[in-house]
Amino acid sequence: MSIAVPHGTPALATTSPVPPEPAPAPVNYLNVSHTIWSWLFTVDHKRIGLLYLGSISVFFIIGGIFAALVRMNLMSPNGAILTEDAYNRAFTAHGVMMLFFFLIPAVPGVMGNFFIPLMIGAKDLAFPKLNLASWYVFMIGAAFSGWAVLVGGIDTGWTLYPPYSSRSSQSNILPGVMGVFISGFSSIMTGLNIMVTIHKMRAPGMTWGRLPLFVWSLYGTSLIQLLATPVVAVTLLLLMVEKAAGIGIFDPTIGGDPILFQHMFWFYSHPAVYIMILPGMGVVSEILTCFSRKNIFGYHAVAWSSMGIAVVGFLLWAHHMFVAGISFYAALLFSLLSMLVAVPSAIKVFNWTATLYRGSITFHAPMILALGFLVLFVVGGLTGLFLATLGTDIHLHDTYFVVAHFHFVMVGGMVIAYMAGLHFWWPKMTGRMYSDWWSRVAAIIMIVGFFLTFVPQFIMGYHGAPRRYPNYPQEFQIYNVLSTAGSSVLGLGYLLPGIYLPLSLFFGKKATANPWSATGLEWITPSPPTVHNFDATPVVVCGPYEYAIGVDQMGRGLPEPPGPGGSDGPTGPSGPMKKETEVVG
Amino acid sequence: MADPTTPATTNDPHGIRKDVDSPGQLFVVFATVLGLALVNVFLSQSIGPTKFTLPLQLAIGSVQAGLVGYYFMHLRQGDKVVILTALSSLFWMGILFVLFMGDYMTRHLVVSQ
Ligand code: HEM
Ligand SMILES: [Cu+2]
Repeated sequence: MSIAVPHGTPALATTSPVPPEPAPAPVNYLNVSHTIWSWLFTVDHKRIGLLYLGSISVFFIIGGIFAALVRMNLMSPNGAILTEDAYNRAFTAHGVMMLFFFLIPAVPGVMGNFFIPLMIGAKDLAFPKLNLASWYVFMIGAAFSGWAVLVGGIDTGWTLYPPYSSRSSQSNILPGVMGVFISGFSSIMTGLNIMVTIHKMRAPGMTWGRLPLFVWSLYGTSLIQLLATPVVAVTLLLLMVEKAAGIGIFDPTIGGDPILFQHMFWFYSHPAVYIMILPGMGVVSEILTCFSRKNIFGYHAVAWSSMGIAVVGFLLWAHHMFVAGISFYAALLFSLLSMLVAVPSAIKVFNWTATLYRGSITFHAPMILALGFLVLFVVGGLTGLFLATLGTDIHLHDTYFVVAHFHFVMVGGMVIAYMAGLHFWWPKMTGRMYSDWWSRVAAIIMIVGFFLTFVPQFIMGYHGAPRRYPNYPQEFQIYNVLSTAGSSVLGLGYLLPGIYLPLSLFFGKKATANPWSATGLEWITPSPPTVHNFDATPVVVCGPYEYAIGVDQMGRGLPEPPGPGGSDGPTGPSGPMKKETEVVG
Repeated sequence: MADPTTPATTNDPHGIRKDVDSPGQLFVVFATVLGLALVNVFLSQSIGPTKFTLPLQLAIGSVQAGLVGYYFMHLRQGDKVVILTALSSLFWMGILFVLFMGDYMTRHLVVSQ
C-alpha cells in the first residue's frame, strides 16, 4: 500500500515554513559594553561562560606543558631531562591542573553556563550572582594551586595519598590541597545553579520529556557535583588538619588509617570521573543526531542512562583499591558493582550507533570529533571492565594500562567531546564561522595523534611497566618513544584550533542563526545571542530532535543544512540532504 | 497552609514567613545543640572509650544533626520536594557508610586456601 505520490513532486513532509533569518541584532551580549569591569562584574551567563573558557584554556596549556615535560623525560630509560624529584612534581602538576582545573569545570562551566538557559528557553541561570561567584571561587582555588606549583610543586600524584602526603612529603601540599578544596565549592555552586535552573526555569512546553539530552546529562552531572564534592572537601580538610596539626586521622603511626583516606577520596573521585564524562556524552548526543539528520534513537533510554550513571557511579569506588588492603569480600562486591556501570554506558553507545544507522551523515569538524569520541570512549570503557575484574586488576593495577585506560576516557572521551562542543557552538558563541577545512584537518590530527600516543601505553602496561616511575628497563623504550612521538602529533592537533578559532573572530564569515540546521532553542536566537537571549519567551511544541519532519522545537521549519563536502563549508552549497524528509512513494 | 483567598502579590507569596521560628525558639535550639556537644566532650573526656560511649555519642550526634536540619535548615517548613531531597541525602550517606563498613567489618575474614 504505497501512498500515491508521483516522483518528482516536492516532499510532503515539510509542513512548516522555514522562518526568516532573524536580523543580526545590532546589540548582542558581546558588544553591549566593552569595559573590563563589564566583564569582571557581569552576571550574564554567556559572559561568565566565556570567562570560564578563557581561564580553563590557560590551565589546559599549563597542564599540557607539564605533560610534554613528562613525556620528553620518558624518551630515555634513565630520564632524559628531569631529575627524579622534578619528574614527580611534573606529573602531579599535570594531573592536578588537568583534572581539577580543566576537565571538571570544562563543559559545565563553559557550555553548561552558556547553553543551558538558551536550550531551555530561559533568560539566565537561576542564580546569576552565584554563577559569577563560582568563577571567582574557582580562580581563587586555581591561584592557590598555581602558587603551589610555582613555588616548587607537589610530589604526591594527584591522588594525594597519605601518609606520604601528610607526613613525609616536603613539597607544597598545603597550598595545593587548599586550592583543590576551594575550587570544589565552585563546582558545587555550578551544579546547584544548573540543577535549580533546569527545575524552575524551563520555557512553556519544555517538559522533562522534551529537554535536549545535553540538559539531561548536565542534570546528572549536577547531581554528582552536589552529592560527591562535599565528601572530597571533608577529606581534604582532614588531610590538612593532620598535616598542619598532627592529629592522627590517616597516618597509622599516630593512630590513623590510610585506607580511610582512599575510601573517602574515591567516594568522590570515582563519581568525579562521571562529572568529567557525562557532559561530554551530552555534547555528543546533540552532535550525532544533528549531523546524521535523524531523530536520536531511544531518547528516553539515553536520558535515563545519564541518571543511571550518576547513581550507579556512587557504588563502585573501591575498584581503585583492590590491592590496597581492603577486605577480600568487599573487593568482590565492588568488582561486581563496577560491572553495573557498563550497562548505562553501553545503552548510550548502542543508541548513538543506531542514530547513525542510515542517516545522511556529513563530516564537519564537530561530527568527526563526535565519531572519534564514540570509538575512543568504547575502548576506554571496555578496558575499564578489564580493570574492574578483580583478577586482572591485580596484574594491571598501577601500570601504564591504567594510564592508557583513563586517558582514553578522559582525553579521547571528554577532551574530544569538549572540542566537538566548542566547534559545534562556536558560531553561536561568537557569531563567526571558523575555517571548515582547517577544523576538519585538526579534528583528524587530534584523533590520530591520540591513538599514536596511548595505544603503546596499553601494550607497555600489559607487559608490566609501572606508572609514575621516571626510569624503566630498556625493553620499554620503544613504546615510550612511540608514545612521545605520538604526543607531538596530538599537541599539533590541539594547537591548530588555538590558532584558527581566534583568527575566525577577525576573519571568519558571519555565522547565520542556525548554521548547522539544528533543532534546539539555542539556534533560534541570533548569533551571537542578544543580552536577554529571547525577545519573547519561546513556546515549545516539539521534542528536541525532530530532524525527520524537519522542525525545530518551536515547530518551525529548519534552514537548509550545510553541504556534505567541499572546502566552502557550512555556508556553501548544500547537497542532497533531504532524504529523511521525503516520502518514498 | 497558605490561605487560597490570599492574593498572590503579598510579600509572602509562598506562605512561608508566617510560620518562621521566633528568635527565642531558635536560641533554645542553638543552646540545646551546644549543650549536647558539651555532653559529648564530657563523655569522651571523663568516661573514655567503653562499649557504650561510642554508640551513645553517635546517637547524640544524630540528634544534633536532626535539630540543625529540622530547625535551622527549615525542614520543618519544607514541602514534599525538600523532604524528599533531605531523605535522599540520608540515603546517599547510607551508601557511604554501608559500603565503608562492608570493607572494615569483613577484613578479618580470611579466605581459606
Ligand atoms: C565503563 C566504566 C569504567 C570502569 C568499569 C572503570 C574502571 C576502572 C578501574 C577498575 C580503575 C582502577 C584501575 C587501577 O588503578 O588498577 C580505573 C581507573 C581510572 N579510571 Fe576508569 N573506569 C570506567 C570509566 C572511566 C571514565 C568514564 C573515566 C573518566 C572520564 C575514568 C577515569 C579513570 C581514572 C582517572 C582512573 C585512574 C585513577 C588513578 O589511579 O589515578 N574511568 N577505572
Ligand atoms: Cu573508578
